[in-house]
Amino acid sequence: MNTSPTPAIAAVGLRKSYQDVVAVHDVSLAVPHGRVVGLLGPNGAGKTTTMRMLLGLARADAGEALIDGVPFRDLDHPARTIGAVLDAGGLHPARTGRQHLRIAAAMAGVEDGQVDRVLAETGMAPAADRPIRGYSLGMRQRLALAAALLGEPSILVLDEPANGLDPTGIRWLRDRLRAFAADGGAVLVSSHLLAEIAHVADDAIVIAHGRVVASGDLASLTAAYGGDLESFYLDLTATAMEVR
Amino acid sequence: MFRAELLKMTTVGATKVAAAVGVLGLLTTQLVFVWLLPALSSGAIVIDGEPGIAAELGGVFDRASFEFQYSALSLLGGGASAGSLGFSVIAVLAIGVLAATTDYRFGGIVGAALASPRRGRILGGKISATVVVTAATAVAYAIVSVGVLLASTIASGVDLALGWGDVLSEMSRGIAVLILLGLLGLAIGVLVRSQLAGFLILIGLVVIEPIMHAVLQIVGGAPIWAQFLPLALAQASLADPGSGAVLSPVIALVAFVAIVGAALTAAWVALRRRDF
Repeated sequence: MNTSPTPAIAAVGLRKSYQDVVAVHDVSLAVPHGRVVGLLGPNGAGKTTTMRMLLGLARADAGEALIDGVPFRDLDHPARTIGAVLDAGGLHPARTGRQHLRIAAAMAGVEDGQVDRVLAETGMAPAADRPIRGYSLGMRQRLALAAALLGEPSILVLDEPANGLDPTGIRWLRDRLRAFAADGGAVLVSSHLLAEIAHVADDAIVIAHGRVVASGDLASLTAAYGGDLESFYLDLTATAMEVR
Repeated sequence: MFRAELLKMTTVGATKVAAAVGVLGLLTTQLVFVWLLPALSSGAIVIDGEPGIAAELGGVFDRASFEFQYSALSLLGGGASAGSLGFSVIAVLAIGVLAATTDYRFGGIVGAALASPRRGRILGGKISATVVVTAATAVAYAIVSVGVLLASTIASGVDLALGWGDVLSEMSRGIAVLILLGLLGLAIGVLVRSQLAGFLILIGLVVIEPIMHAVLQIVGGAPIWAQFLPLALAQASLADPGSGAVLSPVIALVAFVAIVGAALTAAWVALRRRDF
């Protein structure tokens, strides 16, 4: 179990503009080890851009993001530290699931043997040798998650991982994330499925119009709403819209 | 990263199709220019009892000459018809373009950037993999070129005017040039990202440069700068060192390396600065 006092993910004053549009404005957040943190916000709020800056995929105009205390670009073995699922992308339809994972393993610098492990772990072993073009969205999500788990990371960053998953898959994902956090792992997960976040997350960060409008322990945040995350979220984001 | 990039290239059909098109295209053009046209020229093949074709082509395709046999070995295709660039060039350029743009088209570049925040490593992996795939393709080209020339000379009963040193020299330069063309395609692909744009540039390169040379010839000879365009350098690199060409093959090859190096440097800068 990771008991490091250093947050698994820490961001201070992140800012990102695309031409004249400010996508993310002064976002600060922390994801400690042993916690699942839900990142919530309406479409276009800046969740994905924030995640991409955390992962070094987009350059921040200002601010700093640290993974286990160091910038992502300075990680020696990123895949062994942090796994990410972004849009279930990166899947070539002509490749098989196993080929995709072998490529991911080679990029991550992990042994091919890990491929069978994550295939079994994500329930994708029976479909491993079929072309990805025949996969359902849920299977693609599982395969993307399998790739994220290849390096046995201690941090997961997941952008809408429940998209396309059937109820069994959602239940599996929930259990997997809870077990991951229980082992000392840190999870930052964005989702529009508020009920799912309510089930799985310890903490929540709500972003609207590129700014953090609420963050903290989920129970405390929703206490005034009788623990109803949906009411809290809709009230908060509506207020943020009006303020804007 | 090299192994990952090699797996990427070899697990999609497009790379294999491009290589196969290159080999079959080269085989076709070599058969036409090194076997069929010389056979028509010499009268070994007579169509409908009409010797007119032989009369018209007479002397152009002298299979016994050193010059003919040397140009017949060109891995750029087109056999003895200097100035023609064939499928072989398009295929290796396409292999390079595909090595870069497939990642952008299907989002694989995000996985690569997550696995390797130092993006120079991504480009390094792509360069190494492209070198291996284009080299393997070029070796297949070499086997086709040498095979067709040998078959043509044996079938027509002429001696090989080339020494094996000449063959090795031409083949090694040919393989080097094809690898450089593949890397040029890779640099184009990284810079433009879009598969369609990459292929349009590739086709533009292969079509427009020869047209420009032809126009320049018509209006009063090619200026020196025109000899430093990529495909002109590729062809000049494969010329007979003893032919007394203005641009020696070694200088042409060095200049071509410099151009490809500059293109890859631009690709590296773009890759470093780019958001995914």
